[in-house]
Amino acid sequence: MRMIRRAFVAIGMAALVAAAVRLRGSGGVPPQSGGWRELSGPELD
Amino acid sequence: MARVAIIGVGAVGARLARQLVSTDADEVVLRDVDRARLDMVAQSLGERARIDTAELTAPIDADVVVLAGRARVHADQADALLAGGAPIVAVGDDLSDVRGLLALDRRARQLGTTVVVGAGFAPGLTCVLAAHGARRFDLVEEIHIAKAGTGGPACARQHHRSLGRAAVDWRDGAWETRPGGSGRELCWFPEPIGAQDCYRAELPDPLLLVPAFAGLRRATSRMAATRRDRLTARLPMLWPTHPEGGPGAVRVELRGQRDGVRDTLVLGAMDRPAVAAGAVAAVAVRFAIEGRLHRSGAAGLAELVDPLAFLQDLAARGVRAATFDGAVASRSGG
Repeated sequence: MRMIRRAFVAIGMAALVAAAVRLRGSGGVPPQSGGWRELSGPELD
Repeated sequence: MARVAIIGVGAVGARLARQLVSTDADEVVLRDVDRARLDMVAQSLGERARIDTAELTAPIDADVVVLAGRARVHADQADALLAGGAPIVAVGDDLSDVRGLLALDRRARQLGTTVVVGAGFAPGLTCVLAAHGARRFDLVEEIHIAKAGTGGPACARQHHRSLGRAAVDWRDGAWETRPGGSGRELCWFPEPIGAQDCYRAELPDPLLLVPAFAGLRRATSRMAATRRDRLTARLPMLWPTHPEGGPGAVRVELRGQRDGVRDTLVLGAMDRPAVAAGAVAAVAVRFAIEGRLHRSGAAGLAELVDPLAFLQDLAARGVRAATFDGAVASRSGG
């Protein structure tokens, strides 16, 4: 019984830590258009 | 033919030595505490490489000295080697190293020599990209740096360490510390790195950018990391470091005023971090040898070099900058 209780406590704590790690920070929005292009020509002249 | 002393022949030091010997036909003098590594690198470089078994900070006869060894001793090494009068190029990205090196500014000025602080991938290429991008603005108000990937084992250890330590951000004219691993932001790096979650960490880029850009209101730096990285950042490294990481990237986002309108510019580069850092350090060494550094004292590359000429030299060594064309999401947090 005690072992089961400990297992539940451990799982609960792990879930709390995972939730905190997941939620900290606001993330971001991916670019809606465009892409990367190498600098060349007048940009490097 | 110039003589360049390289202290520390890890992933970056060895790449730098290779560039100087093969591309620039320089003579390199190598110092490292790891004698076996020293022998191996010197042997691979051929007759233009010479091993020096003296103490790392013993006086050295060289035109330029490069500090590419282990972190948190660069300031002491530079302090000891400055007396020789040769310019010093420091490759590290440790915050305490950068602080200590910048504190040598007055002494370097008095000696009429230059300490190039942060001549690697980030800081280093990031500073040059920021200076290059700034030419498009009337006033640069914000610079936000992000980096992904690691070079050799020392770089991986530094990555791990910095993620668990407080970030130093510049915000409205004052320094602010924020917890490492906080401030998640999705950053879009040049392909094939692509989108990566990036977090605050103890990174030195803002310390080098703020003195270079008058009127800068915000400067931040983040690094790409996984959730596992964040969870384990405050623990000792639980597994051995890899000999060298895969491809990495840097991203520099500038915001400011142009013709009375607020504008945003995103620049970046993709390469293996140790390879790119070696190339950036090699170009910085050439600038020092050829007297193309803007001033004496201790400063980052944003203050010391003409960014266009630097990027051209870098492109000739295969490290090419890129720009992001398209809409950039608005930034709301710090």
